[in-house]
Amino acid sequence: HPEPLSPQTRAARVRVGKGDKPVTYEQAHPPHYIAHRKGWLSLHTGNLHGEAGAAERAVEDSFLRRFMFGTFPGLLADEVVLKRRGNLLVVCALLNRALPPSKIYFLVGYAETLLSHFYKCPVRLELQTVPARVVYKYL
Amino acid sequence: SLMGARLAGSHVDTQEPKTNPLVSISDEPETLYKRLSLLVKGHDKAVLDSYEYFAVLAAKELGISVEKVDKPPKTIERFTLLKSVHIYKKHRVQYEMRTHYLCLELKHLTSSTAAVYLEYVQRNLPEGVAMEVKKTKIERIPEHIKKPVWDTLPQVEEAEVKS
Repeated sequence: HPEPLSPQTRAARVRVGKGDKPVTYEQAHPPHYIAHRKGWLSLHTGNLHGEAGAAERAVEDSFLRRFMFGTFPGLLADEVVLKRRGNLLVVCALLNRALPPSKIYFLVGYAETLLSHFYKCPVRLELQTVPARVVYKYL
Repeated sequence: SLMGARLAGSHVDTQEPKTNPLVSISDEPETLYKRLSLLVKGHDKAVLDSYEYFAVLAAKELGISVEKVDKPPKTIERFTLLKSVHIYKKHRVQYEMRTHYLCLELKHLTSSTAAVYLEYVQRNLPEGVAMEVKKTKIERIPEHIKKPVWDTLPQVEEAEVKS
């Protein structure tokens, strides 16, 4: 007989621990709070009724998140928010202040030009620096 | 004498019409629209509400009369998938996608007004919101429909039917 499934869902939830694990607002809320206490991380028209292109947007989103995680190593304070207005792709990210600003400017220019050439659309990076990760609660 | 010399190089006498390079004037008559219907779709109701305030304000500022602002009921697309990769048919996950609608109807527009309003309103569409536009044009009735056909036919056919 196969092992029965545990009756608890484990999707996008941070499990409760001893109280020493810092958790952001985004991580603390499980997915059934979307549109109630949470917003969306990626905003596009692919999932609307009667609109096409949801799968392409999903693939682009996953590539963009991995790309941002790699170009800003250890600097991302929270999840990257992606907004699509017409042809324009706006990537909004929260960064730590671990690198000097000159290096961050170089990374921003590199990311913008590379992504615009790759996706053949204007890509804009909107950054905000935070001294440390904003902790919502400790689990 | 002196007055003439002072006014010689100035442009006081000549009245040049101020031509704005962005405005084009053409002689052909403008197409008139009886109704301009905008259907705006989005996932977030709050975003659609704020967009409704913005679009109605823009229409009022441009002098366009708003016929009605309708809010059709939302459509929910739900599907049920298996929770596990391999077996466990009895354990499923359910997802849903909600689409909220907003219908704006504007009446009695000219084509240039419609172009300006649509360009402004579409450039400021928020992300994650889609819009469909339907225009109802007004045209003159064509000449050949104005009079009924039986008035224009010649009277010869009556004699043929009798014989």
